[in-house]
Amino acid sequence: MTGRERFMPYVFLLPALALIVIFNLFPTIATLIESLHGNSLVRGGRVFVGLGNFNRVLNDPIFWKSMQVTGLFSVLVNPIQVVLALGLALLANSRVRGITVFRSIYLLPVAVSINVTTVVWGLMLNSEGGLINGMLSLVGIERQPFLIAPTHALWSIIVLATWKGVPLWTLFFLAGLQGIPQTVLEAARIDGAGRWQCFRFVTLPLLRGVLLFVLVADTVANFLLFAPVLLLTKGGPQLSTNLVMYETYRRGFVYGDLGVSSAMLSLMLLLVFAVIGVQFTLLRRRT
Amino acid sequence: MKQLVLAVSLLLLVVAPLAAQEATTITWLNCCNWPSEEVIAEFEAENPDINVEVETVGFNALFEQIQVRLGGGASDPDVLSVDVPVTAGYGLRGWLLPLDDVFSDEDRADWLPAALAAGTYNGELISAPVSTSTQLLFINSDMFEAAGIEVPGVDDRLTYEQVADIAEQLTQDTDGDGVTDQWGFSWEQTVRIYQLQPLAVGLGGQSIGDDGLTVDGVINSQAWIDGFTFYSNMFNESMVAPQDDTIGTSDLFWSGKMGMMIAGPWNINRYLREAENIEFNWTIARHPYFEDGEVTTPTGSWHIGVNINSDSPDEARRFVQWISTGAGAEAWWRRGSGDFPAQQSVLALFQSDEEFDEGVKYFLRVAADEATVNPDPRAVSPGYLEYEQILQDAFQDIRTGADVEESLNLAVARIESEMAKYRG
Repeated sequence: MTGRERFMPYVFLLPALALIVIFNLFPTIATLIESLHGNSLVRGGRVFVGLGNFNRVLNDPIFWKSMQVTGLFSVLVNPIQVVLALGLALLANSRVRGITVFRSIYLLPVAVSINVTTVVWGLMLNSEGGLINGMLSLVGIERQPFLIAPTHALWSIIVLATWKGVPLWTLFFLAGLQGIPQTVLEAARIDGAGRWQCFRFVTLPLLRGVLLFVLVADTVANFLLFAPVLLLTKGGPQLSTNLVMYETYRRGFVYGDLGVSSAMLSLMLLLVFAVIGVQFTLLRRRT
Repeated sequence: MKQLVLAVSLLLLVVAPLAAQEATTITWLNCCNWPSEEVIAEFEAENPDINVEVETVGFNALFEQIQVRLGGGASDPDVLSVDVPVTAGYGLRGWLLPLDDVFSDEDRADWLPAALAAGTYNGELISAPVSTSTQLLFINSDMFEAAGIEVPGVDDRLTYEQVADIAEQLTQDTDGDGVTDQWGFSWEQTVRIYQLQPLAVGLGGQSIGDDGLTVDGVINSQAWIDGFTFYSNMFNESMVAPQDDTIGTSDLFWSGKMGMMIAGPWNINRYLREAENIEFNWTIARHPYFEDGEVTTPTGSWHIGVNINSDSPDEARRFVQWISTGAGAEAWWRRGSGDFPAQQSVLALFQSDEEFDEGVKYFLRVAADEATVNPDPRAVSPGYLEYEQILQDAFQDIRTGADVEESLNLAVARIESEMAKYRG
C-alpha cells in the first residue's frame, strides 16, 4: 500500500469528522467552558467561577425535581416506545397484500415536524373544546384535563412523544427483521418451534444489534425532548413536566444564567453517557 | 451622444449606491406587532441619514431575545423596547447605554416622575419612558341587559365581589353540550403579575420585600392567599372564566362571548380599528376593588433603551430621543402602539382635544384619569425577570386548579433560590 492509499480513507472521513467537530465537539467543549464561568453581578462581565455553578445546581431543589421528572419520563417512555416499535415492525414485516401501504402510513409521523405535531396534539388534547375530549364526552366519559392537571400532563407528553418517535424506531427494527435469513426461521420451524419460540430464540437474538442501537438512540432522544414542553406545558402544571432540558433552557434563555444552564447541560451529558454505558454493558454481557 | 449617455449612466451606477450608503441603518427590537411603519416613516423623513429596521417579537420572546443577544455581547439590536420593571436587571448587567446627555431638562420635566424614576438605575437614566398604562373593566352592555342586570356607568367602580356575582349570572352553556359558550369574566393577561398584582396589593399585600429580593412572607402572605383564592374561584369554583388560552380573553370579549374583562385601554384602539365587525354594545367601568380592600390600579409600561455594544450609538440615541419626547412620542401614541404616553404634555391632550369629548374616545379620557388613581408599580428588583416568570407558572397552576397556598409557597422557594445570586 502506497502512502497515498493509506492516506485516502482519512480524506474521505474528513467531511464527516469536520461536521462532528463543528456541530458536536465544539458546542460540547464550549458548554463545559461556559459551565465554569458566570456573570459577575457586582463588577459586570464574565468571570471564572470554578465549580461554583455545579455547586449551585447540585444544591438546587428545582434541579433535583426536574431530574426526578426526567427519570420518571425516561423510565416510562423508553420501554413503551421500544416495545411498540418492535411490535409495529413485526406487523409491518408480515407478508400480506398491500403491506407497503400500511408501512407508509406507519411512517407518516416521521415526516411531520415535532413543532407541528405538538401544536396539533395541543389542540386535540385541549380540555375545553379538544377533539379527544369531544370524543370522550360522546361516549359518556368526563372531559379530562390532559394538559392542565399534574396527574395527566406528563402522560400527555409521553403519548405525543411516542406517536412521533415510534415510527422512526420501527423503521430500524423493520430493516433488522428483513436482514434475518428466512432459512434460519424455517429451520427453527422444522425443529418444531412455535411463533413465540421463533421470536424469542431466533428473531430477538439476531436483532440484538439493532435493539442496542434503538435503545441508545431512543434514550438520548427522549432525554433531549424539549419542543412539546416548551409549546404545551412550559414545565407545568406544578413542575410535573419540567424535564431537565426545559429547566436548562429556562435558566439560560429566560433567566439569562448561562453558567448554571451550561452546568446543568454538562451534568445531563454525564448522565446520558452513564445510562448508555449501562445499556451497552447489559446487552453485551448477554451476547 | 451615446458616449455621453453611457458616461452618465456609469456615473449614476457608481454614485447611487454611495448616496444610499450615507444613511446609517439601526435595528429596533420591538414587541407585540405594534404598527410602526408610519411612525418610522415620519422619523426617517425628519432624519434622512438614519434608517430604522424594526424587528418585532412576542412578549415572552422579547425577553429571551434580549437575554441571548445582549447577554452574548451582540451589537444588534441597536435599540430595544424595555418593559420597565426589568430596567434594574439590565442596568445591573451593564447592557444599556446611559442616556443622561441625550435629554434636556425640559424633556425630563415632561415625563411622569414615576416613569423617569423607573428608567433610572444607579443615578443614570438608562431606559427612556415611552408609555404608561392602566386597566379598565370592559363590559358587554347587551349581555348585561339580556340578563336583566343594570349596566354600570363609566365612572362606576364595581367591587370584585359584584363582578363575581354578575359573572355567574352571565356564564352560560347555551346549547347544553357541557361546554361553556358564554363566559362571565376574565383578565386579559390571565397569568401576568402586571394585571393581577392589585388582587394582593388591594388587600394590603406587597409585591416584593423592601430589599427588592425577598419574597418569603410577602407573596405567600395572607393578602396574597386571599387575593388569589378569589382568582382561583373564578376559574375553578364558579367557573366563570376559561381555564385555557386557546382563544384569548380579548378575542372572546370582542367576539361577544364574554361579559366582562379587565383589560388595557389599547382595546379601545382595537375597537376603533375593528368597529365594523363588532356588533354588540359595550362600555367601560373603573378598575374593580375588594369590598374590604383599597382601590389600586396597575401601571407602568414600555421604555426604550440603547444597546451598550451598538455600532451606531449616536444614531440610536437620536432615535430614542425622538420617540420618547415631543412630536415623536405623540406620533407613537397616535399611530404606533396606542399605549398611554408617559409624557405629561401628550397625556394632557386627552383632556384638551375635542376628539375625546364624546363617544368611544371619551373612554380614553376616563382611562387617562384612572391612570392617576392609586397606581401601584410592579416590583423593582434586579431579579424581576425570574420573579415574573416564576409567578406566571404559579398563576397558571392556580388557574388550573392547584392549591393556592401550595402554589405560592412553591413560587417562594423557586424565586428565593434565583434571588440568591443577587445577594452576593
